[in-house]
Amino acid sequence: MLQLIVAGLTVGSGYALVALGLHIILRATRIINFAQGEFLIVGGLFALTFVEVLHVNVWIALLGSTACGFILGLVFERLILRPASRCSEIALTIVTIGALYILLYGHALVPLWGSSPHPLPAFSGEGADSFAFGGASIPYQSLWVFLLLALALAVMYAFFERTYFGKAIRAAANNPIGARLTGIDVTQTRAISVAISIALCAFGGTIIGPITLVGGAGGTAIAIKGFVGAIVGGFESPVGCVVGGLLVGIVEKLLEGKFEYGLADPLVYSLLLVTLLVRPQGLFASRVGVRD
Amino acid sequence: MIARLHADARAIPILLALVGVCGIVASSNATFVQAATYAGIYAIAAIGLSLLLGSVNQISLGQAAFFGIGAYAVAYLTTSANWSYWPALVVGVVLAAFFGVVIGFIALRFHGHYLAMATLAFNLICVGIFHQWKLIGGAVGINNIPFAQLGPIRIAGTPAFWFAWIAAAIVALLSLRLLRGRMGYAFEAIRNDELAAEVTGVPTRRCKIVAFTYAGALAGLSGAMYVAVIGLMAPDIPGVGLTVDLLLMVVLGGMGSVSGAIIGACFIGFLSITGHSFDNWREVAYGVVVIAVVVAAPGGLFGLIRGRARTRATDGAPAPRIESAMAPLVLHSNELPLVVSGVTKRFGGLIAVDAVSFALEYGTLTSLIGPNGAGKTTLFNAMSGIGRVNTGTIRIAGTPVTGWAPHRIARLGVGRTFQNARLFDEMTVLENVVASVLALTRVNERAANDRARETLARLGLEHLSTTYAMHLPFGERRRVELARAIAADPWLLLVDEPAAGLNARERTTLQQDLLAIRGRGVTILLIEHDMKLVMSISDRVMVLQFGKMIADGTAGVIRNDPLVAAAYLGIAS
Repeated sequence: MLQLIVAGLTVGSGYALVALGLHIILRATRIINFAQGEFLIVGGLFALTFVEVLHVNVWIALLGSTACGFILGLVFERLILRPASRCSEIALTIVTIGALYILLYGHALVPLWGSSPHPLPAFSGEGADSFAFGGASIPYQSLWVFLLLALALAVMYAFFERTYFGKAIRAAANNPIGARLTGIDVTQTRAISVAISIALCAFGGTIIGPITLVGGAGGTAIAIKGFVGAIVGGFESPVGCVVGGLLVGIVEKLLEGKFEYGLADPLVYSLLLVTLLVRPQGLFASRVGVRD
Repeated sequence: MIARLHADARAIPILLALVGVCGIVASSNATFVQAATYAGIYAIAAIGLSLLLGSVNQISLGQAAFFGIGAYAVAYLTTSANWSYWPALVVGVVLAAFFGVVIGFIALRFHGHYLAMATLAFNLICVGIFHQWKLIGGAVGINNIPFAQLGPIRIAGTPAFWFAWIAAAIVALLSLRLLRGRMGYAFEAIRNDELAAEVTGVPTRRCKIVAFTYAGALAGLSGAMYVAVIGLMAPDIPGVGLTVDLLLMVVLGGMGSVSGAIIGACFIGFLSITGHSFDNWREVAYGVVVIAVVVAAPGGLFGLIRGRARTRATDGAPAPRIESAMAPLVLHSNELPLVVSGVTKRFGGLIAVDAVSFALEYGTLTSLIGPNGAGKTTLFNAMSGIGRVNTGTIRIAGTPVTGWAPHRIARLGVGRTFQNARLFDEMTVLENVVASVLALTRVNERAANDRARETLARLGLEHLSTTYAMHLPFGERRRVELARAIAADPWLLLVDEPAAGLNARERTTLQQDLLAIRGRGVTILLIEHDMKLVMSISDRVMVLQFGKMIADGTAGVIRNDPLVAAAYLGIAS
C-alpha cells in the first residue's frame, strides 16, 4: 500500500507539474494546451541529450533541460499560440492538437531520441537504489522527486506572489485590458507565462525520468492525466492543480495494484467525467459559476 | 436555404460525380480502389463531425469511440453470433446513436475545452473497455469478419468502393437536406449566438442532442462499414489517432460544410493508405498543416475554393415603410398577459430584484425605468427564462413559467430584444428573421420567408434583406432585432433599451415602430432611459431602484413623484 502510494506520488509529481502548467497557460491565454504532456516527454529527452551527448552531470542536465523548456516555450508561444490567439475556442483546441502531433511524431525523428523510451541516470547512486521504510522499498529517486517538486512549487510561489514581474503576469491574466492600461506589456507577460509553464514540464519530465523512463508516446496520456488532476483539484486554483495531479498519480497506482494493468487508465479517465458532472469547479476552487 | 449552404449544395454533386468517374477510370488499380474505399467510409464519419463542429459549435474528440462501437457491434454479431451483415449494421448504427444521445446529454453541461477533454476521456475509456472485454476479443480483437453480401455480390474490392461511396453520397445528401430546413436554421442560429437562438424560440438543448446523435450514428455507420471491408477489428483502431484523423479531415476540408468533409476525407484517406513510407514525417506535416489552416484559412480547402462569402454592404435607398394592413391580434385567453408576483433574484449577497410584483393589461405599453443597476434587465431575464428566480412566480397569459427554458416562453408568444442587439452575425438580415419564424411557428420555409419579408417591409428594412448582420450599423441592428422579435406575432414584447445609441431620427422611427406594434394589440414592456421617449409613448411607467419597485403610474404621475426624482437626481427625500 505504502509502496503504491509512493509510486503514485512519484508519477503524480509529473501530473502535478503538467496540471500546474496547464493552469498557468489557461490563466494567461485562455487556452487549454493539449500538447502539455508532450513537453514533459521532450523535457526528459533534453536531459537525456545533455547526459548522453555532452556527458554532463545529471544536475546540470536538469538545469539545461529546464532552460531548454523555457526557450521552447517562447518559440511555441510565438510561432503557434500567438498567431492563433484570435481564433475561436474550438480552433484553439485544434491548434494545440496540431502542436501535439508535431511534438509527438517530431521527437521520434530526432536520431538520439527515437520513438522508444530511454533510461535516465538517477540523481544519486544507481537508478534502482532504494531503502526499506515501513515494509515498503522506496527508491531514493522518489525522495529527490518530492524534494525537487517542493522546490519548484516554492520558486513558483515566490515568483508569482513576491516579485513584481510575477504580479504583473497575474494582473495581465486577470484583466488584460486593465493591465495594459497600467503599463504592463501583456504580450510579453503571456509569452513568459507560457515559457514558465513549459519549463515546469521539462523540469518535471527530467525529475521523474529516472523512474518512468524518458521519451516514447506516453505524452498524450500524461497530458490527459494532468488535465484530470487539474479538474479534480480545481482548474482555477494552483494548489488544487498540484494536489489533484498527485491524487491522480496515487489513484492510478492503487488501481494498477488492484486490477489488471490496462483497466487503471480508463478508470482514471472516468474520474474526469465524474468530477465534471458532480463538482465541476473541482475540490479546491470555491468560485461559483466558473465556466470556460 | 441559408446562403452559406448554396456553395455546398452545388459542390456536393460535382464532388460525388468526380469520385464516380475516378472509380470507373481507375477501377483496375487495386491500391487506388482500396484507398478510395476507406476515404468514402471515413467521409461518412467526417460529415457527422463537421456538422457537430461547424453547425452547432460543439467540439467532440470522441468520434472514434462511436466508430469503434459501430465496428465492434458488427464484428461481434457477424462472427460469434452468426448474424448476417445488414441487421448487424443496423444494430451498430443504433447503438452508436444511443451513445450519441448519452454524450449529447453530458455535453449540455460543458463548453469548449471542457467538452473537448470530456469527449476525449470518453474515447479513451471506450478504448480501455475494448481492450479489456474478453467477449469482443480483448487486446487481440476480432478476426475473420465475413465480407458483406448483397444478393450475389460480395462486397470487397471494387464493389466495396461503390458500397462506400454510395453510402457516403446518401449521407451527404441526407445531411444537406437536414441543414436546408428548419433544423439548419436552428443549427446556424445556435452557432452564431446560443442565447439569442434560445430566446427566439430555438430549443438549443434538443438541437445539440440531435447533432450529437446524428454525428454518433454516422461514425457508427462508418465503423460498421469499415470492419466488413477490412475483415478485422482491434481495440486500438478507434483510438485517439483516428479521432485526430477525423478532426483533421474536417478542419482541412472546412468545418460545417458537407463537401469540405468529403474533400478532407479524400485527402487524409489517401495519405493514410499511401503515406506509410513517410511515417512520423506525415504526422508532423499534419500538425503543421492543421495549424496553418486554422490560423490562415479557417474555411479550409472548401473555403478556399468557394472564395469569401458573398457579402453585400448596405445598398440602395431605404425602402418606404409599408403601413400595417394586418388585422389586430386575436386574444385567445382572458388572462392577463403578464403577472409578476413577489419575484426576488439574488446574485450571491446582492439582491438584484427584491419582491417585485405587477401585472400588465392587454395592448398597453408600459415602461420600466430606473437608474443603472436597478435590476431592470435582471427582471427581463427572469421573465424570458434566463436564470432562475429565487422566489416568486411569473405567469404569462395565466401559465406559470417559472423554471421554463427561454424557448418555451418564446413559444407562448413572448418576443424579446437585448440591450446590445444580439443578432446572428453570420446570417443575413432575412435569415435572422426566418430563423425565428421557423423556430416559433409550424409554417414551412417558403411561408416563413414571406412572413419575414413582410415583417421587414413593415419596418422599412426590406432593402437590407441580403446584408449580413455583422455589416449593419448599430441603429439598424436594433431594428432588425425588433423585426426578428415580432415576426412570429408575439402578443407580449419585451424591449430592452431600444433607443440607446440611436440618433434623433432613428428615435423617431423607433417611436413609430413601437406605437404601430402596440396598435396591433401587442402588450409591450419597455426598458428605456430616454425620458422624452418614455413619457411620450407610455400608458404606464414603473420605476425600479435597488431591485425595488418605488413608483408605478401614468407618465404624469411619475414625472411629479418626489421619490423618483430622488432616485434619479440623488436628492434625499
